[in-house]
Amino acid sequence: MSYIRVKDISQVDERTLGVLWTDGRKNKIDVVDLRRRCPCAVCIDEWTRAQRLKPEDIAESVRPVKIESVGSYALKVQFSDGHSTGIYTFQMLREAFH
Amino acid sequence: MGLFSSIKDKVVGTPKPLLTEAHIKSALSVVMDPDLHQDIVTLGFVRAIAINGSSVSLEVNLTTPACPVKEQLKSQVEDILKALPGVSDVTVTMTATTRAPQVSAAAATNPSLQHVKNIIAVASGKGGVGKSTTAVNLAFALAKAGSKVGLLDADVYGPSVPRMVRITKPAHDAGPNVIVPPESHGVKVLSAGMFSQPGEATILRGPMAGNVVKQFLTQVQWGELDYLIIDYPPGTGDIQLTISQTAPVTGAVIVTTPQEVSLIDVRKAISMFKTLKVPVLGVIETMSYFVCDGCDKKHEIFRSGGGERLAREYGVAFLGGIPLDPRVVVGGDEGSVQVQSLPDSPAAKAYSGAAGAVAQQLSILNSVDSGALNQFVLEWKH
Ligand SMILES: Nc1ncnc2c1ncn2[C@@H]1O[C@H](COP(=O)(O)OP(=O)(O)O)[C@@H](O)[C@H]1O
Ligand SMILES: [Mg+2]
Ligand SMILES: [Zn+2]
Repeated sequence: MSYIRVKDISQVDERTLGVLWTDGRKNKIDVVDLRRRCPCAVCIDEWTRAQRLKPEDIAESVRPVKIESVGSYALKVQFSDGHSTGIYTFQMLREAFH
Repeated sequence: MGLFSSIKDKVVGTPKPLLTEAHIKSALSVVMDPDLHQDIVTLGFVRAIAINGSSVSLEVNLTTPACPVKEQLKSQVEDILKALPGVSDVTVTMTATTRAPQVSAAAATNPSLQHVKNIIAVASGKGGVGKSTTAVNLAFALAKAGSKVGLLDADVYGPSVPRMVRITKPAHDAGPNVIVPPESHGVKVLSAGMFSQPGEATILRGPMAGNVVKQFLTQVQWGELDYLIIDYPPGTGDIQLTISQTAPVTGAVIVTTPQEVSLIDVRKAISMFKTLKVPVLGVIETMSYFVCDGCDKKHEIFRSGGGERLAREYGVAFLGGIPLDPRVVVGGDEGSVQVQSLPDSPAAKAYSGAAGAVAQQLSILNSVDSGALNQFVLEWKH
């Protein structure tokens, strides 16, 4: 009945986020990639699911400022470019980043 | 003479069993907690063993004071102790320490809910199914069992808790942005309806409503609670989402009537919690039957078993069926809180039973230590 959630979350290096899940799986996530895959309505077309955001629109220098949990199912990231509307579900993070 | 006394010593002295703590623990290790599927000794429930000659006293510390099998466990322990050779006097005290999901110390990001062990969403597909009445009775039943309880009426569109719970003291401010909720029979109560004048409709819409709910979860001194019960607005809108995003909700209770079961709304509510990764603790069916004054028999007015079927379909617990009781409606004011006003009524007993079942499901959920962080904040270093 319990869902897979975050057991530990940490900054691995200057641009890598590390997540340890409750099932023991570990993900290393490139934070620039994380920004480029923002799932918010501005970055993704809600109807077609097509990506509106072009990868080249995002500078290689973008970094998180703060990463915070959202309820029991997701996290949100405040990025250094001012963008913070994306809610990254745990499920999406596990599927999109290996 | 010397010879004689030594024989006597032998006769009287040999069978005297030595009663030790280990002896008692091994005898009690056959008592199983039916929910956690382990014996009460291994679970660490048996505490404060004191042996004084032939008197034994000890404490059984359960995971919730609302444990439905509390009395059963108590008499089982007493019987085993009394049957031990050399024991004549037995005192068993039942206590409880409510478990919380594992929270990392670094995860305390929201001081309002920092000392709240379990957050329970009481939700429904539609309005008018008896959700608020259920939320209020669950809260008071848990408090009566000895738990520390808070009740948040988050139904900003139609707050009904102030109508049901009489509050004598108003909420007050303890410094900037900190509201202290007033208490009723030991339950800390807060409702969107408490901030409007009597008779004045509370109409909060859109972002306003969302902000009020957020405040209730981030700027209220809830203090130390075993359970915070949240009366959700019916359905699956933005407010429900806001609550679930602001608070680490431990589990959800779905309230339905027999007629609602067939409708899509209740299924949507269950799906919402699945999406939000909030475990559904189970289903409560309200107004499921009628206990007739004349014969004390249960009359199923509607097609029965719907709530149970729904629970089975989703693989969750059926937490109980609540009878239709006209006194809930006529009672007005505190009439809705049957566990307080009419504790021996069938509805009150059914609500208490459901409260025990909810507490039980939470204990089971929390017994699995997944090590998950409840809340976290990570500041990026540059
Ligand atoms: N067990 C019950 N027996 C009889 N009437 C009930 C019962 N539970 C709720 N009611 C009545 O049904 C109406 C709706 O209940 P309420 O708890 O306000 O529902 P909701 O919060 O789902 O809108 C109220 O008038 C309430 O008094
Ligand atoms: Mg209501
Ligand atoms: Zn975005």
